[in-house]
Amino acid sequence: MEEMWQIVHIPDNPPIPPDQQPTVDAIASLIDPLFANTLVRRLNQIAPLENLRHVKRVHKKFVQGVHYTGKTQLSVILCLASQNGNQLDSIQNDVQELMNSYQLSPFITKVGLSLFILTRSASMLHHQKKSGKNNASYGQHLIIPQLSITGFSQEDSQSVFSFMKYAIQLAKSGDNLEVNAAVIVDPSVKQVIAKACDQTCSCYNPKNEITLETSCSEKLETSVCHGISGGALSCKEHSNGFPAKSEQLYTGVSCLCPWGWAEQESDMSLRYCHPLRHASIVAIESSAARDRLLFPSSGKTQDNKSFEMDHMQSCSAASPAKRQKTNSTNIQVNYGEDNLDLNGEGCSRSLSARPYLCTGFDMYLVWEPCIMCAMALVHQRIRRIFFAYPNPKAGALGSVHRLQGQRSLNHHYAVFRVLVGTDI
Amino acid sequence: MEYSERMEYYRQNRAQWHSRAVLANEALDSLEVPVGCVIVEDGKVIASGRNQTNETRNATRHAEMEAIDTLLEQWREQRLSKSQVAEKFSKCRLYVTCEPCIMCAAALSFIGIREVFYGCANDKFGGCGSILSLNSSSSEPQTSGGAPKGKGFKCTGGIMATEAVSLFRSFYEQGNPNAPKPHRPLAQQATQ
Ligand SMILES: [Zn+2]
Ligand SMILES: [Zn+2]
Repeated sequence: MEEMWQIVHIPDNPPIPPDQQPTVDAIASLIDPLFANTLVRRLNQIAPLENLRHVKRVHKKFVQGVHYTGKTQLSVILCLASQNGNQLDSIQNDVQELMNSYQLSPFITKVGLSLFILTRSASMLHHQKKSGKNNASYGQHLIIPQLSITGFSQEDSQSVFSFMKYAIQLAKSGDNLEVNAAVIVDPSVKQVIAKACDQTCSCYNPKNEITLETSCSEKLETSVCHGISGGALSCKEHSNGFPAKSEQLYTGVSCLCPWGWAEQESDMSLRYCHPLRHASIVAIESSAARDRLLFPSSGKTQDNKSFEMDHMQSCSAASPAKRQKTNSTNIQVNYGEDNLDLNGEGCSRSLSARPYLCTGFDMYLVWEPCIMCAMALVHQRIRRIFFAYPNPKAGALGSVHRLQGQRSLNHHYAVFRVLVGTDI
Repeated sequence: MEYSERMEYYRQNRAQWHSRAVLANEALDSLEVPVGCVIVEDGKVIASGRNQTNETRNATRHAEMEAIDTLLEQWREQRLSKSQVAEKFSKCRLYVTCEPCIMCAAALSFIGIREVFYGCANDKFGGCGSILSLNSSSSEPQTSGGAPKGKGFKCTGGIMATEAVSLFRSFYEQGNPNAPKPHRPLAQQATQ
C-alpha cells in the first residue's frame, strides 16, 4: 500500500481568488451518481474538454438542504458554452441527445482556466428558479487549488515517508492522534536531531530528551486508521484528509486549538500548563540544547567575544587597524558557519561544523503548524517542512495564513504535505 | 489614541519603560539584538524579559517569550490553575521596545493578553500591523461548531519609538564604525 503515500508541494502563492480568475462558461448539469461513469465516458468521447485537461469533469458536493438533512450531489460539465447567443441553445446535437436520454437540466457554470472552479451563475439559473428549489448552497465558489506533485526521488520519498511515520508514531496515544508531534531531521545523514510532542497541557516536562542517534530506519509499527474526509488542501478523493475522527475531537492538538488551552478539561485543576509549548517550539528548544551540548566551544567564544567587545569599547585608543581585525575575527568565529549551508548543500557537513541554528534541517509535523510555530520555524531557519494533516482553522502554511509566501521575511522554507497511505 | 492620552501613558509608565530600556541595554552588552519587555499587572511590573537568541542558540527566545515563561514559572510555583492563569493573563499589559514579531504576536494572542504597547515598528516581521495583524481578532478564520475563537488584544505602537530606535542604532553601530559591517549576520539576527 506504500504507493498511496504522496508528497505534495504547498505553493508560496495562494490560489487565485475566484473573482480574479480567468474563466470560460461551460454547460453543466446535476446527475444521478449511478450514471456518473457512463456519462463521463460518453462525454469525453463526444465533447472532450480539449484545453482544460486539468479540469475535473465531475464535481461532488455535499448539500445541506432545507428539506433534507443532507446528501451528496454530483454535477458534470457537459461541454463548453458558445461565446455568443443563447448559450443553452448552442449545445451540439449529440450532447443534446445525451441530455434528453438522461433527462438532464443544463445550467451555465464558470470553469477556471488555471484551476477548477465551479459556480452557478445566478442569472442563468432559470431551470433552478422554475423548479423553486432552494439553491442557497450554490452561492459559494468551489475551488480546488492546484497542487503540484514534487520531484522527489524514490529514495528521498521513502525517507520522507519513514520520518513522517515516525512523527505520527510519536503523536499517537493508543490509536489516537491527540497531540502534534515535531521531528527535526538532518536529511544529509538521515538523522533525527530533535523530537517533541505538544506540552501544553500534560504534566510539565522541562527536560526534553535529546536524541543524537535515532535512525529513521527503525521499524515502526503503526495501526492508526484514517477515514475519508475532505481536508482543506486535499484534491484527491482518497484518505488524505483528517484521520477517521471528526476534527472537533482534536482539541488537544495545540496548533489546532491554540486559544483553547484554558478551556480544556483537566481532571487535575492544579496540573501545570504552558499554553505555548507546542510541539515545534519544544523541538526547537531541544535542538538548541543539542547544539549547545555538541558545540560547547562556541559558548566560550561567545564569552570571549563579549569580553573583547567590552575591551575594545573601553580601549578607544587602540589602533583602527587592530580594532578592525578584532572585529572581523569575532564575526567570523561567530557567524562563519552560517555560510556553510545557505545553498541547501547539507551533504558535506561534518559533525565538527556547527550548523547555524537549523539551517539545512527538515521539520516533520503531524499537523500543519499554527502561525506561532510557523514563524518560530522561520526564525530557526528550518529548510523544509513536511506535515500530514491540514489545520483549517489555525494553519499557517496554506489553510489560514501562508507564511511561506511572505516575502518580507528573511528566510523561506519549502512546504510539503505528505498524503498518508493506508498502511498507517 | 489621542496625543494627550499617549502622554498620560508615557507618564504612567515611565518606570516600566525605564526598566525595559535597562533590559534592552543589558541585551546590548551581551551582543543580543536589544529588545526588552516588561509585563505589568495593576501598574506593577511582574515579569521582564530580554532577547536571548544568541546565548541559547534558540532563535525563538525573544524578550516576550522569556517574560511569558518567567510568569508561567511563577504561577506554577503558586500552584495556579489553568483558569486562574488565563484570568491573570487577561489583566496583563506588555511593554516592549519593538513591535512583536509574528511569532510573539501569535503567542500573546494565544495567552489572551489584555494590551500591548511597543516602541518602533518591525517592518519585516511585525505581527501587530506591519506584516500581519494578529492582534485584531478579525484576522482569525471564521469559526464554526463552537471551536475556540481567536483572541485579539489592544495594541499601540510608536511609544518612545525614538528611544527604541536609538537603542538599535547603538547596537548596529557599536564597535568600529569603519569596520566592514557584518550585514547579513546582523540582518539575520534582527528577527525580533
Ligand atoms: Zn503551534
Ligand atoms: Zn518575537
